[in-house]
Amino acid sequence: MRRRTLLQALASSLPVIPLTRVRLAAQVRSFTPESVAVLREVSATVLPASLGADKVSLLVDRFLAWGKDYEEGVALTHGYGDPKLVKSGPSPVPDYVAQLSAIDAAAKARGGRFATLPLETRRAILSDALATAKVDALPGRPMGRHVVADLMAFYFRSSEANDLAYKARIGRQMCRSLEMTTHRPAPMA
Amino acid sequence: MPTYESDICIIGGGITSVMLARKLANLRPGTTITIVEAGRSIFDFEKRLAYRDRAQVYGEHPWRNDYREDQMAEGFISMTMAVGGLALHWGGACNRFSVEDTRLKSMYGLAADWPIEWNELERYYVEAERALNVAGEPSAYQEDRRSAPYPQPPVPLSYNLQLLKGWAEQSGLKFNALPLARNLTPFDGRGACCVYDSCDICPTGARYSPDFTFRQLLERKQIVLHDRTLIRRLVLDDAKPAIAAAQGVHQDRPDEQRDYRARLFIVASGYCWSSHLLLLSANSRFPNGVANSSGLVGRYMTGHAFVEGRATIDEQTFPGQHRVHSLISREYFRCAADKPFVRHDTRVWEDSTGREARLRDDAGKLLLGDEVFDDWRPRTKGSSVRLRTYLDVHPSADSRLTLNTASKNRYGDPMPKIEHRFDEPTNARLAANKQHVRDLFARMARASNGKVARTFDGEYLDHPGGGCRMGNDPATSVCDSYGRTHDHENLYVIGAPTVPTGGCTNGTLTFVALTLRSADRIASTLARA
Repeated sequence: MRRRTLLQALASSLPVIPLTRVRLAAQVRSFTPESVAVLREVSATVLPASLGADKVSLLVDRFLAWGKDYEEGVALTHGYGDPKLVKSGPSPVPDYVAQLSAIDAAAKARGGRFATLPLETRRAILSDALATAKVDALPGRPMGRHVVADLMAFYFRSSEANDLAYKARIGRQMCRSLEMTTHRPAPMA
Repeated sequence: MPTYESDICIIGGGITSVMLARKLANLRPGTTITIVEAGRSIFDFEKRLAYRDRAQVYGEHPWRNDYREDQMAEGFISMTMAVGGLALHWGGACNRFSVEDTRLKSMYGLAADWPIEWNELERYYVEAERALNVAGEPSAYQEDRRSAPYPQPPVPLSYNLQLLKGWAEQSGLKFNALPLARNLTPFDGRGACCVYDSCDICPTGARYSPDFTFRQLLERKQIVLHDRTLIRRLVLDDAKPAIAAAQGVHQDRPDEQRDYRARLFIVASGYCWSSHLLLLSANSRFPNGVANSSGLVGRYMTGHAFVEGRATIDEQTFPGQHRVHSLISREYFRCAADKPFVRHDTRVWEDSTGREARLRDDAGKLLLGDEVFDDWRPRTKGSSVRLRTYLDVHPSADSRLTLNTASKNRYGDPMPKIEHRFDEPTNARLAANKQHVRDLFARMARASNGKVARTFDGEYLDHPGGGCRMGNDPATSVCDSYGRTHDHENLYVIGAPTVPTGGCTNGTLTFVALTLRSADRIASTLARA
């Protein structure tokens, strides 16, 4: 009884939005099963195979969670020196879904599923997609311009990738002792 | 109309406000202190790690809602308006100025002398360092004499910084670890540093931020804090040139004026909003603004011009070990009187410019998967180094904060507009000073088979101050050396606004030292009363 009363109270306090709009909003802010499938195919190409399939799959899961936890209308870092109030825009997930659909269509136009195509064909498809989105550099973090660049930034800008590049246990921005930083980082095994 | 009475009303809730309140509460127990701050309290320490993590992956500002959308200034350097002020997200740098900063007129015939003896200021530096629990080491330059050691040893140099120190000192300059207000071990309710390397928001509280002290004072009932309350006017007593009240309005009750009445009013609103409030408070007896019979409120706004550089060197560092820690040389804090005037600090950081993952190789080929590592790893050889200097530049009287009638807040008050201007001697030497810095960077790089990849000038003035400069002469200054305004015996301005010149290194420690000195004077004033 109390739970029902609470739900009724919550419902009555919500702003009135047409149900169709609610459904649309819910749809476009989520990855579709089809888009997730394409994302996993793409991830096997754009993330390092040397990490192993399980790790790549885990990274995709984390990227999907990143998209799910994205918040709209939140003030972004407003900086120092010439501050500007900029708020986070709409979730990039709807654009991601469309971009993955376009990659899938481009792959099929060239003979099959993305994962089955020769590497240079996959490279050409992704290069065209990034050029269309006007992405010519790896962003500092996922910025919503293109799902491929964002997935790559999600990983290659990480502390873990930094360690692998330097082949050393640097642990950038990970909690560690001050004393530990005073030594040359241990080499990666 | 609600009226709040106390012995002391402090307007503004930043680092100088809380340092003043804490010292007064200790020196004069029982004194009632009300602090009024326009921004909100952000007392959610337990969420800091989550905010920090979201800042990293989403670019969100880690101090949520630390601003008021209609309370912005043209030409300011940060929009933060919250309990704790800009020291919520400062780096914690605690450099002292040097005696030259207080004797520019006497020693070089430039700008103005400060109305304070260096030895006296030095004692308050010691007190400020203890209050902020600064970690530091004695300067490599014997001229930087100290009367007491730092309360903590220096933040240890990372392996990277040890290498860079060896490199940089080949140029003949001597370097120290930057003094930092950062706990090496838990202290005063805050945790120890664990190198999250995100000092703009410290998940352990190791880097000092004023919210901790505010909470302590509130828990001990030593202050009353009214946040989200904007003071719009200071009102004069009818019979004498003293402040009778500060009038403000709470964000949730825009139609209800609040009156704050006190024996003493302390404006602690930082370099921007202090002068702004005084100018906004113009009345028939002080038509140019409260405390402004000199016409100097909002003038002589200070700040640092800066030059940055990136050098590449052979030594192998590992970017990411401790990015926010740095080295400082005080070599150029001094300048011989018979040489062209140039003063600046010299800072060195680890850096990863040109040594990061990229999307395409030099030929423009899209890199995929392990190809990114194949392209990245060869570029990790050697190091990039970040260099920066803050130049001692001096303001003219036309370096101003004015009321901008083209921009008003929700109450119709004009917002501030800051336009920095240098005095003639600064303009005359600035190009040569910047060339001196570029030559220095090149000299440092050459010392270890390195080269300067690029240099650039800062596009704003860092560490701003001024607008209510202190001095002994009421005709050429707004307040005395304790911050008491020449025009109003019960009105003080403290911290950044009071400095006549901005030095050549980070200013926060100096602002706090000056504030602690003001606290002693204010406490004695209370005792006499």
